[in-house]
Amino acid sequence: MTEFSRRGALVLIGGAASLPMLGTPVLANTKVNVGALRFTSHAPSFVAFERGYFADEGLDVEFKFFQAAQPMAVAIASGDADFAVTAISGGLISLAEKGATKVIGGALSEEPGIDGQMILASNAAYAAGLNAPSELNGKSFAVTQTGSSFHYMGSRIADAYDADVAFKPLQKVGTIIGAMKSGQVDAWTIVPHIGKALTGAGAVQHIGMVADYIPDYQVTTVFTSAANAANERAKSEAFLRAFSKGADDFNAALVDKSAGPDAEAGMVSLIHKYVYADQPLEKAAPSIINGAMRINKDAALNMGSVTDQLNWFKAEGLVKDGITTDTLVDQTYVQTI
Amino acid sequence: MSDAARPVPFRGGGFRPVAKRGAGLAVFVALLALMEWGTRVGWISNLTLPRPSDVATTLIDLARSGLLWTHLSLSLSRLLAGSVLGITTGIGVGVAIGLFSYVRAGLIPLVAALFPIPKIALLPLFVIWFGIDEGSKYALIALGTFTPTVVSTYGAVDNVDRTLIRMGQSFGLSWASIVRKIVLPGALPGILSGLRVSIAIGIILLVAAEMLGAEYGIGAYILQAGSLYDLERLFAGVVILSALGVLSSWLIGLAEKRLLRWRV
Amino acid sequence: MDLTLDRVTHRYGDMPVLKDISLRIPAGRILCVIGPSGCGKSTLLRLIGGLERPDEGQVLQLGTPPPGCLNPLTYVFQDFALLPWRSVAGNISLVLEDHGIRGPAAETIIDDVLARTKLNDFHNALPRQLSGGMKQRVAIARALAVNPAVMLLDEPLSALDAQTRELLMEDLVALWERAPFTGVYVTHNLAEAVRLGHSIAVLSRRPGQLRELIDVDVPLADRQPGDPQLEALQARLWQLMKDEAMAADQELLDV
Repeated sequence: MTEFSRRGALVLIGGAASLPMLGTPVLANTKVNVGALRFTSHAPSFVAFERGYFADEGLDVEFKFFQAAQPMAVAIASGDADFAVTAISGGLISLAEKGATKVIGGALSEEPGIDGQMILASNAAYAAGLNAPSELNGKSFAVTQTGSSFHYMGSRIADAYDADVAFKPLQKVGTIIGAMKSGQVDAWTIVPHIGKALTGAGAVQHIGMVADYIPDYQVTTVFTSAANAANERAKSEAFLRAFSKGADDFNAALVDKSAGPDAEAGMVSLIHKYVYADQPLEKAAPSIINGAMRINKDAALNMGSVTDQLNWFKAEGLVKDGITTDTLVDQTYVQTI
Repeated sequence: MSDAARPVPFRGGGFRPVAKRGAGLAVFVALLALMEWGTRVGWISNLTLPRPSDVATTLIDLARSGLLWTHLSLSLSRLLAGSVLGITTGIGVGVAIGLFSYVRAGLIPLVAALFPIPKIALLPLFVIWFGIDEGSKYALIALGTFTPTVVSTYGAVDNVDRTLIRMGQSFGLSWASIVRKIVLPGALPGILSGLRVSIAIGIILLVAAEMLGAEYGIGAYILQAGSLYDLERLFAGVVILSALGVLSSWLIGLAEKRLLRWRV
Repeated sequence: MDLTLDRVTHRYGDMPVLKDISLRIPAGRILCVIGPSGCGKSTLLRLIGGLERPDEGQVLQLGTPPPGCLNPLTYVFQDFALLPWRSVAGNISLVLEDHGIRGPAAETIIDDVLARTKLNDFHNALPRQLSGGMKQRVAIARALAVNPAVMLLDEPLSALDAQTRELLMEDLVALWERAPFTGVYVTHNLAEAVRLGHSIAVLSRRPGQLRELIDVDVPLADRQPGDPQLEALQARLWQLMKDEAMAADQELLDV
């Protein structure tokens, strides 16, 4: 059971605070492509890049930006990107089943006490009585695509009340926002920085929190190609170490707010280089601060949540029945919760 | 030069397509066999192409589960409603452009402006105008089939033999008679061949129309398969769309055979 | 019913095509119009039939069309102008339908004109199944169906080969002998003009002016190919036209 002992060792090391720096990088100038969305939840990668944590590990990182999570998974499979952070989607699981991708760590999580993803109702539906998730029966629910994380969340919330909900695939977040504002769909879930802006403007109504229905939800995971996970262990571990350092800085500055106001301002302006870059800093800052959710320390992975998500995909017939968590996840890299 | 008689060397031949029956089918079968063999041996990875036999199984399962008919009936009704709407108004506007100078001057620039718009880009707008349910899907397919139908129809009307119209006038036929008995039948071949293009565009737009808010339908099925990276279902859906294309083209061919028997 | 052209002048844009033409077309006779190519013969015919308006001068009708005449001025076109999607009978019924003649009444007329043009067996044939000569017979039958006061024939035999042309000329003569009609027959073929014209109008090259009007006294039925009198007439017409034709041929086509 060498695998187990290795994992055990990692748990020990991980428990000791951030991963210890090795004296010199094991790798020298290894070229790595990292897939990213311009979302606050991808900040650890940006921090690790800007503050040189990737360089310290000998990783020469180049970002490849995407518009949605789905193409990022395909880019990993095709070898156009080496690492990425995204929600567990049906596409990601199918690619793992084909032996193309592997989840190696956890990132964004729902955590009690920190504002997480919100359940929203359109003004029209709210006026018609949809003022709590318990009223979802017979309503429509917006998702980007079948088998997306929105679909999973909506389905789990509906399950809580045995509600019959019609899921409307609308492809893009922007389209969903339009459909919510005009009352074409009744309900939706979304990350807080978008949700707070919408409810603040009175365009939609806030009727609940996702965390109440999916406790300890492992929203996004770190994943790479199966080949990287199996054969490029040093590179993958180096990436996770640098990513974790970035996450620690991010959590301290924006989630725990333990680093003081200067650190918060510095973090916001760093993230602003990548997120909301088309808006002035003053305008972008509240959105960035609102959107801050916990990134798991040391990229720990909540296996309970991952298993629940996988089971849901199987139950819905969206992925093949034979897939196990071992097909999807390489558990030898990080601590599992 | 010797005096011996020699046959004149043959220099003709070639450059003339000859119908070879079954060649198309053979290419098709050979490609499928290559795909099947390649995926079985592992020379083609399962990330690149699905195994044709798996696609066939997926199709059979889909038909057995009854979902195929749910998808097909919804998609066909969308295609039918949208394209009937787009094609009838398209023919009407096209004939009007062909007949009336003011309509021509007023509408040709508008049609030229509408034609190159990627109709998919208007989809979110259509959702606001016509609702997220069937209305926006009908509208998208209708607009997509409308513009090519207009262009091919007024082209066909323009191409009606002017001497036939002159003949009609010389015999004192009424304007309505000339339009009904000379212009419309004369434009029919052009209108029908334009329909082939319009309906193909309608099928393409079916997938786009089902991007927004469709739970069932061939397009929704394909998009779902794409987002799940399920190549077998993706190809099964594509096969159904291709079959729809072949079927519609065959139906128009049948209509041409019946309606255009007078052609040489 | 007679037709009279009174100093007709016509231009296309700045280019004059017909200049100052005065002609009388008496009832029951065939007037042939000849001239070098581009002299405006066909334009003249369109003016006579009312398909175009003359810029100056006018075309006048004298008297009323005979009773039962559906379309007083009726054309026979060079390229036949048959609807390809209608059968022989359908092409003829086309010009009757607008006059409310349908069913048995139409069938009677159709059978009659088909018999006169020897087309009885082709009642249901489509134009594409017919030879050029047959198609022109259908066009003539269609013209006869409306019982015209004046037949306007625009180079009706030009698209046909020599043998067919010969046969159709005989048919036209036979038709006229049976029921004399008024005709204006435009052609560039002198032999046709000599064979079918009671009088022959010779036009100059563009702009077309009336150079000469020749009466031919020999009855139509007596005109045979090789008749010395007609050969002499044809030679005289050629002398009249030769220089004009040569000059017309050398004009630059910048129309």
